[in-house]
Amino acid sequence: MKLTLHIWRQKNSSEKGHFETYQLDNVIEDMSFLEMLDVLNEKLVLEGKEPIAFDHDCREGICGACSLTINGIPHGPEKATTTCQLHMRKFKDGDEIWIEPFRAKAFPVIKDLIVDRSAFDRIIQAGGFISVNTGQAPEANSILVPKQNAEKAMDAAQCIGCGACVAACPNGSAMLFVSAKVAHFAYLPQGQPERKLRVLKMVEQMQKEGFGNCSNMYECEAACPKEISVRNIALMFRDYLKASCSEEKLELVENE
Amino acid sequence: MGFFSYLRSTVLSKVVMAITGAIIVLYVIVHTAGNLLIYLGRDTLNSYSAFLHSLGPILWIIRIILIVSAILHIITSIKLKFENWRSKPTKYAVKNYLKAKFTSRTMIWTGLMILAFVIYHLLHFTIRVTNPQHYYPEFYQPHNAVSSVILERFDVYRMVVLGFQNPLISIVYIIGVITVGFHLDHAIQSMFQTLGYNQKHYFPTIQKCSTGIAIIIALCLVSIPISVMLGFVGGGI
Ligand code: HEM
Ligand code: SF4
Ligand code: FES
Repeated sequence: MKLTLHIWRQKNSSEKGHFETYQLDNVIEDMSFLEMLDVLNEKLVLEGKEPIAFDHDCREGICGACSLTINGIPHGPEKATTTCQLHMRKFKDGDEIWIEPFRAKAFPVIKDLIVDRSAFDRIIQAGGFISVNTGQAPEANSILVPKQNAEKAMDAAQCIGCGACVAACPNGSAMLFVSAKVAHFAYLPQGQPERKLRVLKMVEQMQKEGFGNCSNMYECEAACPKEISVRNIALMFRDYLKASCSEEKLELVENE
Repeated sequence: MGFFSYLRSTVLSKVVMAITGAIIVLYVIVHTAGNLLIYLGRDTLNSYSAFLHSLGPILWIIRIILIVSAILHIITSIKLKFENWRSKPTKYAVKNYLKAKFTSRTMIWTGLMILAFVIYHLLHFTIRVTNPQHYYPEFYQPHNAVSSVILERFDVYRMVVLGFQNPLISIVYIIGVITVGFHLDHAIQSMFQTLGYNQKHYFPTIQKCSTGIAIIIALCLVSIPISVMLGFVGGGI
């Protein structure tokens, strides 16, 4: 199939970017979206041009490295699918495709389609540790987890930290990501001792990084390749309110 | 900063939006029901109005709660909006929305339109400065009396009818209350999510009710100026 690609090119974070248009003729339906970009890059290299920089790693939908906003939707039009798992058979011959980086103030463009998502790492760090003993694996039945809680924790743990939620949100809010991380431990007994401190610190770091506020538009949930639910955000709000009235909050305020 | 330090927290700001919004939503529902009394005739509407005014201090307590809620709601929404614009400095060249609706993306604009409408509405019907020629006390003719007596109550019915007989005023009201409907479509379900009430088994129902209540309120309120203009209400005035 033949495609017309409008791709965002930007030398570095300080320079202004622009769209460049490429024609690609030899696209095969079975290629993934990233393989299609690989083919384009090979062509560019042969022509002596600068290849397009984009993020990728596992290419099997589990690492969260790939990104791209494709025709205005992070990870493209296919529901619950990362860009690396999106196949060209979802497009038609002659299609025009707009490819942009994930856009948000907290995700500055590094080059072309690559953005800096290290703000997420700092939020995770702010969350701190959980109190489990290291060493040998504990007896499996020593801490019981109700099945429904285990399932909710596992659903939240599916988040791969890709940042599509931030990219999709008109406010550039990271609520879905942060709430997935908060909920993941809030549903497990191992997460209880630091539960209040964790939500306070992660939300605080999220704000410091310059992410926007949540307006409950639920665009994040629709764009998320792992179908993380906004119910996690509701849980995070409940936890944050409880934590705001707790001794942990007092400690934080006094330590400042 | 004292009290306003809640503005520093994204979560607390949202909670203030939800609580102040809930107070105003409850008021809007009661106010809409009250307005529908116009269909029961002049006497019913005017006695309802006289009853409200007889509440005295209670009426003022309600007014103060509403004014404080409105001020907090507006200040907080503007702060949130400015931050949100800052967090998304570059727009996409192409953007396809999956779940965000027209009504959820335009809250600040419908909100500001409501603010303008509410100011006009207060000047018109509450402070009564925009059309002073419409304001009369009610003349009440007891059934067997020889001469008419002036009641100590205000003729709200006549004021509303005379107001809405002017198509320009009616159009302002129709646009105003449709805007309220747009705002509420997103707002009602949003406050449940913000306050942490979102579980699988009931939230889809809340979302449907949010749209349903918004449409019902808008239709009820729109019906009043339309009924007056068509002469169904107050034809004799
Ligand atoms: C009839 C009057 C009004 C009612 C009943 C109302 C009600 C509500 C409710 C219940 C919410 C949801 C809060 C949440 O997300 O949890 C909301 C959100 C909002 N309101 Fe209002 N409101 C009214 C007037 C206004 C006005 C005058 C403004 C003016 C600036 C405004 C601006 C907003 C904005 C921007 C939001 C979204 C905030 C966000 O989530 O980012 N509203 N409103
Ligand atoms: S919540 Fe979904 S969209 Fe957001 S970072 Fe996690 S996996 Fe990506
Ligand atoms: S490259 Fe790992 S999820 Fe796409």
